[in-house]
Amino acid sequence: MIDFILNPYYIQIASFILINIVLGISIYITLSTGQLSLGSAGFMSIGAYTSALVTMKLGMPIFAGIISGAIVAALAGILVGIPTLRLQGVYLAVATLGFGEVVRVLFNNMEITRGAMGLPGIPHFGRVLAQSLADMGLTADMLGLRNNQWSALLLFIVLLVIVILVIWFFVRQNHSRIGRAYTAIKEDEQAAESMGIPTTYYKVLAFSQGAMIAGFAGALYAHTTSFINPGDFSYHRAVEILIFAVFGGSEVIWGPIFGAAFLTALPEVLRDLADYRLIIYGLLLVAMMAFRPQGLIDYNVINWLKRKFKKQNKHDSVSNGSDGNGSSKQKGGTL
Amino acid sequence: MFEQQLINGLTLGSIYAIVALGYTLVFGVLEILNMAHGEIFMFGAFIGLLMVVQFGAPIPIAILAAVLVTAVMGFLLERFALRPLRGKKGVSHLAPLISTIGVSIFLENLAHHLFGAETQPFPVSFARISFEIGGVKIYLVQLTIFLIAVALMIGLSLWLQKTKAGKGLRATAESIETANLLGVNTQRIITLTVIIASAMGGIAGVLVGMAFNAVSPQMGLAIGLKGLAIIILGGMGNIKGAMVGGLILGLTEVMSVAYGDSGYRDAIAFLMIIVILLVRPQGLFGSPATQVKR
Amino acid sequence: MLELKSIQKSFGGLVALKEVSFTVQKGEVFGLIGPNGAGKTTLFNVITSMFPPTQGQIQFLGEMIHGKKPHKITRLGIARTFQNIRLFGHMTALENVMVGEHCRSHAGVFSSVLRTNKQKEEERSIREKAARLLELVDLKGMEEVFADNLAYGQQRRLEIARALASNPQLLLLDEPAAGMNEKETEDLYHLIKKIQQQGITVILIEHDMSLVMRVCDRLAVLNFGEKIAEGRPEEIQNHPAVIEAYLGKEEEE
Repeated sequence: MIDFILNPYYIQIASFILINIVLGISIYITLSTGQLSLGSAGFMSIGAYTSALVTMKLGMPIFAGIISGAIVAALAGILVGIPTLRLQGVYLAVATLGFGEVVRVLFNNMEITRGAMGLPGIPHFGRVLAQSLADMGLTADMLGLRNNQWSALLLFIVLLVIVILVIWFFVRQNHSRIGRAYTAIKEDEQAAESMGIPTTYYKVLAFSQGAMIAGFAGALYAHTTSFINPGDFSYHRAVEILIFAVFGGSEVIWGPIFGAAFLTALPEVLRDLADYRLIIYGLLLVAMMAFRPQGLIDYNVINWLKRKFKKQNKHDSVSNGSDGNGSSKQKGGTL
Repeated sequence: MFEQQLINGLTLGSIYAIVALGYTLVFGVLEILNMAHGEIFMFGAFIGLLMVVQFGAPIPIAILAAVLVTAVMGFLLERFALRPLRGKKGVSHLAPLISTIGVSIFLENLAHHLFGAETQPFPVSFARISFEIGGVKIYLVQLTIFLIAVALMIGLSLWLQKTKAGKGLRATAESIETANLLGVNTQRIITLTVIIASAMGGIAGVLVGMAFNAVSPQMGLAIGLKGLAIIILGGMGNIKGAMVGGLILGLTEVMSVAYGDSGYRDAIAFLMIIVILLVRPQGLFGSPATQVKR
Repeated sequence: MLELKSIQKSFGGLVALKEVSFTVQKGEVFGLIGPNGAGKTTLFNVITSMFPPTQGQIQFLGEMIHGKKPHKITRLGIARTFQNIRLFGHMTALENVMVGEHCRSHAGVFSSVLRTNKQKEEERSIREKAARLLELVDLKGMEEVFADNLAYGQQRRLEIARALASNPQLLLLDEPAAGMNEKETEDLYHLIKKIQQQGITVILIEHDMSLVMRVCDRLAVLNFGEKIAEGRPEEIQNHPAVIEAYLGKEEEE
């Protein structure tokens, strides 16, 4: 049983789900100000290559590589964001689409990235961790695990902690002055500006936060697969990330999280569909826009879950139960 | 050989211009970026190729077939991906953008399954025929492409200026409400616009296939991106901007390959986007007012 | 406190405002009336810099403000409501007002995420002030309702609360009584008076003449983008040009 659960292949898929959740959050952050970025794959590749090169060529530790990957991606985000975010939303979509393609052309042509051949031998997060733990005296045998199980498991645990931290960060940010500014801009940009919110600043902030998180995810990806090539970060990747948010929902952070988890796991369960994945994704995008533009999980679903959960609690513990206002929250759909 | 490059640049630019016209027509009327335009264009190229290779059809027939198929695709695109979103309350401006992205990804992968992922050559019977004028070598293919492109641009301009439907289209582009009040059937004009834009994409597809002697499912994205760059350069929704912008990009690319580094040729379009957004965000021919409009 | 000097605004060839000048004194309620399409809302948009004037100057508290970004103008102390209600529909009433306090608060990304003591303190005071303002506009008990789900009159009042949240010295109200019944309009009258008593200057665009005549200290009349009269309500009521251009047409509405 334990061997079945700790099958490195399953753990690796679980790890990819976690990385895709981070990517889903990255596009959600940008969308939460009503901006659509098609450059997530570009920022992801910047993070991936930066971290890979920093660890391989400069011999820096992995965590330093990951942080520098995220920072470089954020800087690129600011660079692209400032000229485009002053304008209508469609400009951002085009500029980021172009940006993604150019980054790919760049990595395809550069010598240090080995061009289209790709970059092998990137230090694997799990194996490096297992090595350090072994140096401290904790080895896989002591836990009754095989080495590849142990390193895959370590990687999964680290990613899980990271994902929880990222979610925690943005949930808190959403429930603050910053989050309110984001939502206000998404709802009505001009009105938000009139109410004293520097909209350009917050749009650039949200966009570069999205870029940073995408870069961060890219770096994690590099140290999970140990091999990257420019083809990993094509336009299709950007569209795939977009689908996490469009399918799962872009109103609440749980939407893209659900979307990423569900859509990453699905082709593993339904093997036959894997070949037609992108065709289905395309149809899914069109159908979602026509029938449920806010995605599967929206405010209503969350409130419904909350109410249900509350009732359960009330039922269990005989409390004074005053949740008077819960029922009045409702809404129609916007993206 | 500056003159030689000039000819090459003009040929390339005239094709780019037609691709950009497809984007700009739809944007001008609907204020929607049709992200599927590149893929419709790619289908046009494949249909043309199919006609030439499978049925040995001459180029005019191939173009006609491409036009027919892409026009139908345009109709379907409008009917199923755009119309359901129009006028619906609470739908943001991103919805049609995302919807057409969906169509683009669908079409590209459909092409993978139908035609295969490889790049295929586009045989043209008169590919080797060329003549020289003042030391400049001009291929008949180039001349054909250039003439078709120019004829198409002139035809479109005349149609917009002179015909009733063309005037209706321009009125709809100004303001859908006003056009409605003036008795224009805007629903029909909108459908017509997407169909015409798509059919022009189909022609452009065949021309690109001939020009590069290559057709592949990925060409939609590569050329489509350039079309998008051009309409930002020329001004979104601006017909003249698309034509001039296309020529500028074509010439710049050819010159940069001739006198610079060819590896980065595809980066030029993007650099152009950034520069124009910084310097003149409304584009070369756009009016600043479009910026305020949301 | 607010001085407009020959403001001109044109869209393409269309002149929306022609040489409009007037001065608003501190503490008064200043009415802005005129037929539909006279340029009243355009004037608000120019004052709040939603679009800059083509020509002319605007001085607020001794500072030139034309051409500044809208959010900076709000910071300087001018807040507004919208004729076609523009609330943040999918935010609660309370959150809408809290957004209004944005320019008077400071917490950044990191203090927000780490919830420092200072941030918690600020957040609490934002929340309390927002609740007080909702009470002021008679929306107590509606805190958690989405703005979209409020009744029309409630939305109008919520807009006022949201504008007041930015601590304005000058409040621009764009047809606050539109769509309100008699009782609501009466409440609005008292609300405007209360706002005035707090030392906030008000410019009011309104079609409800009985409200305008009662609540305003002075009025300006716009017609086809031009100011045709300015003065106290009783002066305006008897002004020949106004009667001709505006009051005569009112029966058609």
